[in-house]
Amino acid sequence: MSDHPTDATSDSREWGALSDLPGNPIMWVLIVSELLVFGAFFLGFGTARIFNVEMFRAGQGMLDIRLGGLNTLILVSSGWLAAKAVQACAEGNGKGARLWLSGAGALGVAFLVVKSIEYADKAAHGIDIETNTFFTLFYLMTGFHALHVVMGLVLLVIVGWRNSLENLETGAAFWHMVDLIWLILFPIVYLVR
Amino acid sequence: MQPTESHSDWSRRLARAWMLLVGLTLVSLTAVLGFGHAEAGLPAAAVALVASYFKARAVLDHFLDLRRADKGWRGFFSGMLVAILGGLMATYLIAA
Repeated sequence: MSDHPTDATSDSREWGALSDLPGNPIMWVLIVSELLVFGAFFLGFGTARIFNVEMFRAGQGMLDIRLGGLNTLILVSSGWLAAKAVQACAEGNGKGARLWLSGAGALGVAFLVVKSIEYADKAAHGIDIETNTFFTLFYLMTGFHALHVVMGLVLLVIVGWRNSLENLETGAAFWHMVDLIWLILFPIVYLVR
Repeated sequence: MQPTESHSDWSRRLARAWMLLVGLTLVSLTAVLGFGHAEAGLPAAAVALVASYFKARAVLDHFLDLRRADKGWRGFFSGMLVAILGGLMATYLIAA
């Protein structure tokens, strides 16, 4: 089954079914939990949209799809660099791993900069979290996600400093989870209208 | 973790996953922007949500290495994605 069968964390059966997953089992518990929480959030957004279609369309029409798309490209590229960092570490190239991880972190910062530009533009047009239901959900979902990006950046710094393979795999897994959430958030908030 | 995949195979696999993610993002953007900013319409919404599924699978399988897990886990995550994205498509159709 495994291309990389010597994972310290996946060899043991002490985690039950979670032992069959690659990397740190606790991170998979977090990934499933986050998918459930954000999934409920997203379905709540879709349900609220049923009752306020015109308001949601108007709100979505005020979002900049290009900035959202740019942030998607930034985040998937950052995820690729984080995966390259794990590869470099697994191949015994600790310095290379740090370089790839630095690139991943820099793109994470770029994501936050673009998000800040978007928020500033909305503020300049007098739009805030209390404007209407659409923007309340917009700010809650994208803001909660942005907080995960900040947390992910902190984790990348920590695992870049203490860059054992297990640490890197765990930090990168959190980063990929942040990427995964955005890949669902982006179409439903920006594209499906 | 000692890789059994060669450096070049591993690099190529990750690069292909990244290119798929970029490509599907551009397809989604093109589908929606092609309809203008007011209303994307059902085909564009379907393209965006289906693309989102395949992007999420690429991240799970190649960046998070879920391809190494057994079928049960892969099916579980596919099911979660289908439930979330299918549920959103359903809300879109109801609202249409």
